[in-house]
Amino acid sequence: MTSLGSSNSSATEYTVRVPKNTSKKYNIMAFNAGDKVNCSTWTQARMERDMSARRIYGEEETAEGAAGSEFGKKQREEARRKKFGIVTREFKVEDQPWILKVNGKAGKRFKGLKKGGVTENASYYIFTQCPDGAFEAFPVHGWYNFTPLAKHRTLTAEEAEEEWGRRNKVVNHFSIMLQRRLREQERGDDDEDETEKSGKKKKKGGGGRGGDLRIHDLEEDLEMSSDDSDSSMGDDGESKTKAKKNTGKGQAKKKKRKSNDKEALEDSDDGDHEGLEVDYMSDESSSDEEPGKGKPSKGEDHPKGIDEASESEEESEEEKQNEEEAKEEEEEEEGKKTPVQMEKKKKKDSSGESDSSDDSDIEGETASALFMKKRTPPKRAGGRGSAGSSRTGSRPGTPSIDSASTSNTLRAAASKLEQGKRQTQGPGTDSPAAKRLKMEPSTQSPVPSGKSTPQPPSGKSTPSSSDVQLTEEAVRRYLIRKPMTTKDLLKKFQTKRTGLSSEQTVNVLAQILKRLNPERKNVNDKMHFYLTE
Amino acid sequence: MSDKTEVNLSGVKQSKGVWLVKVPKYLSQQWDKATDVGKITIGKKQGKTEVRFSLSAELSALQSAVGEKDGSLQVPRDHPFTMHTVGGQTMAVFSQSSTDEISLEGMVVHRAECRPVVNDNYMKLKKLQLKESTKPQRLSQQLERAITTVFKPVANHDFNLEYEKKKKSEGKMVRAERQVVLDMLFSAFEKHQYYNIKDLVDITRQPVTYLKEIMREIGTYNSKGAHKSTWELKPEYRHYQSAEEEEETEAA
Repeated sequence: MTSLGSSNSSATEYTVRVPKNTSKKYNIMAFNAGDKVNCSTWTQARMERDMSARRIYGEEETAEGAAGSEFGKKQREEARRKKFGIVTREFKVEDQPWILKVNGKAGKRFKGLKKGGVTENASYYIFTQCPDGAFEAFPVHGWYNFTPLAKHRTLTAEEAEEEWGRRNKVVNHFSIMLQRRLREQERGDDDEDETEKSGKKKKKGGGGRGGDLRIHDLEEDLEMSSDDSDSSMGDDGESKTKAKKNTGKGQAKKKKRKSNDKEALEDSDDGDHEGLEVDYMSDESSSDEEPGKGKPSKGEDHPKGIDEASESEEESEEEKQNEEEAKEEEEEEEGKKTPVQMEKKKKKDSSGESDSSDDSDIEGETASALFMKKRTPPKRAGGRGSAGSSRTGSRPGTPSIDSASTSNTLRAAASKLEQGKRQTQGPGTDSPAAKRLKMEPSTQSPVPSGKSTPQPPSGKSTPSSSDVQLTEEAVRRYLIRKPMTTKDLLKKFQTKRTGLSSEQTVNVLAQILKRLNPERKNVNDKMHFYLTE
Repeated sequence: MSDKTEVNLSGVKQSKGVWLVKVPKYLSQQWDKATDVGKITIGKKQGKTEVRFSLSAELSALQSAVGEKDGSLQVPRDHPFTMHTVGGQTMAVFSQSSTDEISLEGMVVHRAECRPVVNDNYMKLKKLQLKESTKPQRLSQQLERAITTVFKPVANHDFNLEYEKKKKSEGKMVRAERQVVLDMLFSAFEKHQYYNIKDLVDITRQPVTYLKEIMREIGTYNSKGAHKSTWELKPEYRHYQSAEEEEETEAA
């Protein structure tokens, strides 16, 4: 290298060489500035061509020779293409995108798409400086723009379209992916427990209230407590599941009440209530809500009572077939409860059994079918199944009732429904449905519930200090005096006063209501209970 | 192709910085001709770094293969580089060898554009280039005299003559023994499932009516469906398997 000493500038000269013998083809790997890619942090990298487009070209590989093939098929196809002037583009390996995987399995992935037109009008050269100071120029063969690939799950085009249509109704967007994940899981394994577990985990993990506005802390507390109790449940152990079901039931009841007003008696489309979440993020809870939602709109039930009953019977019959032994036992336990409850519970159980995590679609369908009939949703997520069983758990003893008797009781339940007497549905089913309903009308739910709460206090001047015990007598007294919602009732028996945990309160209250079997009335779009003595 | 190629990251590890230089077409054409193409001068002029490239003398003298142009047109010699920084965009250079080995050569630290110094010489060059590019690819030419060598009226075309000769030589198709024909058919259906009657005639060299008679006996005709208007063997006669084919012959 020669250095020229000029007057006011110092310059160094380097020779430029363009090597002709290289077998290497140089390409540019361009990243987006925003991705902040630092190549020096890469420990290892693998790159290969993305050949996924090949099958598009290599299609119509019908059986050659032997069955299904025609004599001279290829020639005929070719002649046909020529006649119509169909020109199929060749599959060029050179133009296929690259897939770059950095740092192994856990690292980033990039897709490199070839940029066209780079070498058409101007050539790019790579100048590297050799140890001897000379520059070597290599022509650039191709330019690839690398973009990072998303590792998280994304919706497919169809799913995205679906969700787009629901964007105004769905408040909790986190649940969309959760449910999708659960759906996939359901397809993957049939183990109910597993999904239950996962569902619960998601419940906990999800955590968020979604976009739902909550006005009442008490609700929250109660729900949270039941949520905790649910999640704390182990997978196995009937008692555990039963307990869960119990709490679920209590929750469902509450949620059902809340959802009552909002339900607005509309046809729920498939997956309409999917995004509705109050507490949990899990599919279970949402699915739990769905059935609950079916329940709420009871007001219009009466004429449809028979249809519903028969339909629910059918559904439960179907599901019965799917049930395993374990579930049947639970069903038998249910035989003790009121027919309606049993019906619902059976549905819950069966649904919980048959498919661990239900497709929200399936749920939606059945739910929508049910909603009009205000029947317990037949299917519910695994979590709900647990709730259902937990309900039985609270009952003492397990009468061994065979399926025949349950069907009988179902008919009895149907007739009962006709009269419009409805007990609180399975807590599990209720809670998710109730939750869904809450989400759907979004802010409406908290408001009406908020509204309803002032009523009882104003109406009742009972000194709460005196009435500390959560007994049937107490509940009866309240309901005789004035119609109340479950929320109101819960407020009466505050945890601090009664000394019970909120979970227990919910359980016990649910039991009491079942025993009392109060009348129902829709006031201000809220389901109120009352008794006439 | 399907297996992953481990990328050789040695270039990046050494933090080899390279320049990405955009070079005009005419210059790259000249560069293709030789290895030693010229010199780069990196200097500081009034505080600013300046890079200039000067083409070597041999390459500068334009020699076109056809010899139409004389040496009057010269490729510009002096090319200052316009340097830019990479500006946030990460660009790496990877190379693919003939053995499909991929290695990362380095990171781009500077971008540059090779610009020629605009002078008369350059303008002339550009004019020439433009003329070349604006020439249409296809040209209509007027002929002075009409072409009389093709499309003369003929009593009988060559093609026709050949065809008739071929037909004569082959002769009429004679009915062979039934069993022989059946064997031929079965072996044909071993290869493919569906056949056109014309193809079968071709294969068996039998008159159409005779062949149809036999086919009606052992096969069915598909008038609809994917394999339209084709013949296939009756189910009891065929025994296709996925990979291979077995044929079931009927007791004659």
